[in-house]
Amino acid sequence: MERLLPSAIVAVVAGLAAVERKGAFQLMLSRPLVLAPILGLLFGDGRAGLLLGVPLELLFLGGVNLGGNLPHNETLLAAALTAMVVPAGAGLSGGVDAPLAVLGLALLFPLAVYGRKLERASEQRNAEIAAEALRRVQAGDASAIRLNLRGLFLPFGVTFGICALASLCAPLLGWLRAQCGPAAVLALSGAWHAVLAVSAACAIRAIRDSRAPFFAGLSAAVLVAAAVAFRGAL
Amino acid sequence: MKRLSVLTLARMFFRSFFLQAAWNPRGMQNLGFAYAMGPALDELYPDRAARAAAAFRHLEFFNCHPYMAAAILGGAARVEERVAAGEAEPSDVSQFKTTLGPPLAALGDGFFWLALRPSAALLAAATAPFIGAWAVLVFLGLYNTVHLAARVWMFAAGYLRAEGIVETLGHAHYASGTPLLKACAAALAGAIAARAVLLVAEGPRPSAAVGFGVLLVAAFLFLPRLGVPRSVYLGLFCGLALGARFL
Repeated sequence: MERLLPSAIVAVVAGLAAVERKGAFQLMLSRPLVLAPILGLLFGDGRAGLLLGVPLELLFLGGVNLGGNLPHNETLLAAALTAMVVPAGAGLSGGVDAPLAVLGLALLFPLAVYGRKLERASEQRNAEIAAEALRRVQAGDASAIRLNLRGLFLPFGVTFGICALASLCAPLLGWLRAQCGPAAVLALSGAWHAVLAVSAACAIRAIRDSRAPFFAGLSAAVLVAAAVAFRGAL
Repeated sequence: MKRLSVLTLARMFFRSFFLQAAWNPRGMQNLGFAYAMGPALDELYPDRAARAAAAFRHLEFFNCHPYMAAAILGGAARVEERVAAGEAEPSDVSQFKTTLGPPLAALGDGFFWLALRPSAALLAAATAPFIGAWAVLVFLGLYNTVHLAARVWMFAAGYLRAEGIVETLGHAHYASGTPLLKACAAALAGAIAARAVLLVAEGPRPSAAVGFGVLLVAAFLFLPRLGVPRSVYLGLFCGLALGARFL
């Protein structure tokens, strides 16, 4: 019961974020960088949410919903990952660490791909809603344009359900993390660094400008040189 | 000519935030646009049949960038006032929407999705290790200050200028600000990439930083071919191997 209430609140907030992602407002509250820390905070660990949110944001920075093109669903993944990893970490002595985050990410990443299917299904449902509105308006009922808001229910419901489930499965992830010996922890920490490296590469690719690799390379070179020089000075 | 009240315009603006609630492949934002026009139609057409006919007009295909659509919504409200007063044809509203939709969509996609959002997110991601959760506010504050201000301004300008909105938007420097934002975003992404490698160099096995540096470059090169999910899983396997010292 103690865990059920925060899990339910997190699932509701995640559902609202799924609605905010495309259907309403689009204030970027559903971006991983924002959503993961908020959900983490609801579980009592905003720092862990930020740890998960930053690499996810970078991984999906290039995903843009242009016309009929559907990007991966970063919101669903960020919400489910936070809902599973943060409570799992709360049950461990070390809290949320890199190995736990990697285990969660490897397990839940397919949700980003599944989220696309969810969105396609949502669009098909919206087509039915729009057709019904058109029929009713044609028959003289102008108030049928309010059916517009019905399009928000499906993304809310599915994301709510998935996040609630992820949160309930958190103890399993915690158990898995507890089984990891020192060698496995070392390997998983390496995997987390790899996630950071891939996410940085994704971030550079996300900037659709032919000069982006040049500016990124220059900036990286300056920073590495400064780090080396600073260390040398010490 | 009857003018819409400020309250009606405010309600329309609020409803514009739900433009994509029922986004669908056939009409795209058609239902959302008609929904946002609802308060204006209620005020301009007291007759039920005339109101339904006007709503039906707005259920035609419509697609634009969700933020830039505010300009079209404001302009459509103005043209609809003229239609209700008999000073314009109903087809003028449709023509106004179809003429402005595609160019404003291209402008909005380029500026908001491909420049402002990555720049704001990268600034927040780059500063997150130093300022913690404040980075979230940096992102939201930076992005939404520009986004909301632009949306309010475009809606007001669309209503006041109607067809003249094109000229007004030309002075907004959306297109000229885009390359600068992208250059800043690229520099920030480079700094994040460097930090990802330097973190390993500061760890117990500094030589592994070379391996992660190679991984980063390989991910950058093969990302377009592999896509994000495969790159992540391949990266995870390489990272496991590097972490376990197999490589």
